Amino acid sequence: MINYRIVAKILGILLFLEAILLLGCSLFPLCLGESDLVAFLVSGGLTLVVGLVLFLLGRGADKKVNRKDGYIIVTFSWVLFATFGMLPFLVGRYTDSVANAFLETMSGFTTTGATIFDDIESLPHGILFWRSLTQWFGGLGIVFFTIAVLPIFGSGGMKLFAAETTGPTHSKLHPRLDVTGKWIWTIYLIITITHAALLVLGDMPLFDSVCTAMSTAATGGLSVKQSSIEAYHSPYIEYITTLFMLISGLNFTLLYVAILKRKPVRLLKDTEFRWYVGSYSAFTLFVTVALLVATPMGLEQSFRLAAFQVASLQTTTGFVTTDYMMWPSCTWLVLCIAMIVGACAGSTSGAIKSIRLAMLCKIVRNQFRHMLHPNAVLPLRINGVVIPGEIKATLLAFFFTYMGILLLGWLYMLSVGVGFMEGFGITVSSLGNVGPGLGSVGPAYSWNSLPDAAKWGCSVLMLIGRLELFSVLLLFSPSFWRKH
Amino acid sequence: MKIVIAGAGEVGTHLAKMLSGEKQDIVLMDTDEDRLHQLEDNFDLMTVNASSLSIAGLKEADVPSADLFIGVTPDESRNMTSCLLAHSLGARKTVARIDNAEYLQPKHQDFFSRIGVNSLIYPEMLAAREIVDAIKMSWIRQWWEVDGGELVLIAVKLRRTAHILDIPLHQLDTRSTPYLVVAIKRGMHTIIPRGDDCLQELDLVYFMTMKKYIPYIRQIAGKDEYKDVRNVMIMGGSRIAVRTAKLAPEYMKVKIIEKDLERCHRLTELINDDRVMIINGDGRDMDLLMEEGIENTEAFIALTGSSETNILACLAAKRTGVSKTVAEVENMAYISMAEGMDIGTIINKKMIAASHIYQMMLDADVTNVKCLTVANADVAEFIVKEGSKITKHAVKDCGLPKGINIGGVIRHGVGALVTGNTQLQAGDHVVVFCTGMTMQKIEKFFI
Repeated sequence: MINYRIVAKILGILLFLEAILLLGCSLFPLCLGESDLVAFLVSGGLTLVVGLVLFLLGRGADKKVNRKDGYIIVTFSWVLFATFGMLPFLVGRYTDSVANAFLETMSGFTTTGATIFDDIESLPHGILFWRSLTQWFGGLGIVFFTIAVLPIFGSGGMKLFAAETTGPTHSKLHPRLDVTGKWIWTIYLIITITHAALLVLGDMPLFDSVCTAMSTAATGGLSVKQSSIEAYHSPYIEYITTLFMLISGLNFTLLYVAILKRKPVRLLKDTEFRWYVGSYSAFTLFVTVALLVATPMGLEQSFRLAAFQVASLQTTTGFVTTDYMMWPSCTWLVLCIAMIVGACAGSTSGAIKSIRLAMLCKIVRNQFRHMLHPNAVLPLRINGVVIPGEIKATLLAFFFTYMGILLLGWLYMLSVGVGFMEGFGITVSSLGNVGPGLGSVGPAYSWNSLPDAAKWGCSVLMLIGRLELFSVLLLFSPSFWRKH
Repeated sequence: MKIVIAGAGEVGTHLAKMLSGEKQDIVLMDTDEDRLHQLEDNFDLMTVNASSLSIAGLKEADVPSADLFIGVTPDESRNMTSCLLAHSLGARKTVARIDNAEYLQPKHQDFFSRIGVNSLIYPEMLAAREIVDAIKMSWIRQWWEVDGGELVLIAVKLRRTAHILDIPLHQLDTRSTPYLVVAIKRGMHTIIPRGDDCLQELDLVYFMTMKKYIPYIRQIAGKDEYKDVRNVMIMGGSRIAVRTAKLAPEYMKVKIIEKDLERCHRLTELINDDRVMIINGDGRDMDLLMEEGIENTEAFIALTGSSETNILACLAAKRTGVSKTVAEVENMAYISMAEGMDIGTIINKKMIAASHIYQMMLDADVTNVKCLTVANADVAEFIVKEGSKITKHAVKDCGLPKGINIGGVIRHGVGALVTGNTQLQAGDHVVVFCTGMTMQKIEKFFI
């Protein structure tokens, strides 16, 4: 039985939170005297009213949040956040298309980083900050933020946490979920502030630094410049951002253990960390060599561009320093593979994640060994711990579903009139929460040229990818809504 | 010396029998009255029918005045708790049998003696160590290191290929030979050899030597064709199997064959190592063994709960050409029979555990006593005391009784063999090989 009242109440509270963020952004127009004041006040006010209505609907609700309620709350909170988050773009008339505004906001919250704006520099600071803020919030998860700061979920928190956090297994670093949440957000904040400070040292303006740092920590990719990081023409900024993209792709729980508990060995010995670093190095090496052979660029430049672009796409950030569509075509596929592989579970990045890749490879290896030794009992071990059969089954189902959605999404894009390569690019990019695609929606262009149907499709793929498929797809299963 | 043994299981019983033969005051505690009754009738010891966790029971066994309390029930936590109680009641030293490698780490030793458990004994670990030592050099039946490897004692079964058969020892043991024959097991008898004895075919010969001369012994014993062990097959996924797989050196590949699927899954959790493969099946099924490549396996270790199965499986493995077999034989009566059936190394957990504890109750100067499983003999290491009998004359003039042999000496950290003319000094570590006598009788020469 679904407890609609508690669902409405919690969604109402979450909307209050979004209203506060929207109204907070109106400080920029207030101080700078820009044109977006009305946009934020109206949007914030509207969000507040709807939140209040939902909250009143849920008055006196039974406190119990069961599993089904958890999935509904998580999925709908993301849909609602995107719906109300797009209001400033529409009210301020920065875009006239609802599809555009929704895509931009969903792209922000899911930390995809694809934009539909063709002249970002003309946007007021408040709107630019709002775009960065959506990513920063979406990075670790809207519900997860709420768990850390507001005690509204009670004991149902763990179910929501599991539904929203990425990766095949979930580990807590403190017996209490809210304390875990606070520490993870602390790590997140430290990464953001450190990165921003280092960018300021590299002569980036303070506002740009903060927005870029928020975007990087969330592995989002929305930039305050049309040409992204390339606009700053600074190798220092590029190297620093590469490093911080890679850090943001690490498992935050392990980062906590490595930094705050001073046990870096745990991080270095972690299976997923090794696969992540290994695959990143392999991709970077391949692209560097390809650039050296096929272009007149020197070693340093080839390495810098390759390291940045592979990091940006593998951690699913989506910043660009160059138009990789000008590179040899073999690198495109390597970049697409990097986009599908992704970084680590428990980070802010999207896509399949290295841990799943490691498990899949080990399953395949065991399959071969099993053919030679039919009676052998072959365990799947990650960090020395045997992975139980149910998780293996979930993993295979996840991989199959991911690939299935990728193909179906591509088919959908082709049927609504997107080109063959562009369709593949935006599907991989949306599902993996990356950002840039291929061809005419590649790194040098915005997604404005896509047909509306494709934009809506991308928004849906982004949400499915961010919540790791099953939390969203479950709502489409009829048995979920049956009463018994 | 007053010793309380809690737990009349296999280890406890064996230990009690051994120690009562040494004229020690033994009190055996257990809750099984029948078992105690049987022991009290046949051996010179006292029994107390009480739980080792009962304070009244411990007092009844007179633990407060005990010199040594030994907790050897099958349950680790019961042993630990009873040791803590015994320590608080006033027992001078406590020993607990455990089932947990973590507790054995040297860094925890201080912690345990602080809370009142002086020594820990882990029979499965000791057995596994012995197995790994045995398969590391597969042509050697037994292997024992003295003082961190300065001297080694090895047992080798002589075949027709040996070059040293039928020559009197005094002709072999010249001053230049780098080894000493300290004991011979011939058929059912253990001989402490003298100069005119000869080595014969099928003798199990105990050599005392230095590590660097082991290849030489391999050559004179005619064992050159023996292959090094790289592939090991273990039958039965017991606790000893787990420890053995973990202790096996890096270059060995191990296959564990276990019947029970549940246990197989548990083994995959216990053994976190890609060198070890767990196979679900019956180790008695020859087709399965063939399929898993027993012909390319150099060592076969049978560790099921049944001594009979282990013996037969080893014989079957020998037939397929496995050069080294190890059988766990817990049934004491079968040990000498199994030895006669030409099974390489025989492991008996109880005896290993008992000899380990035995060394603790000998005076502290003895650092290592090994109860040899197949030979009815003891090996002990002593530190020679200032002014003791043995330092007065050369070894051959000290009047050592028959059946005792000083194998080697370690002086200032350097190992050497002992001949009749050697003069021992205070502070020397000596390795003594003896049969059919009590340790106290030997002790008086050195202390």
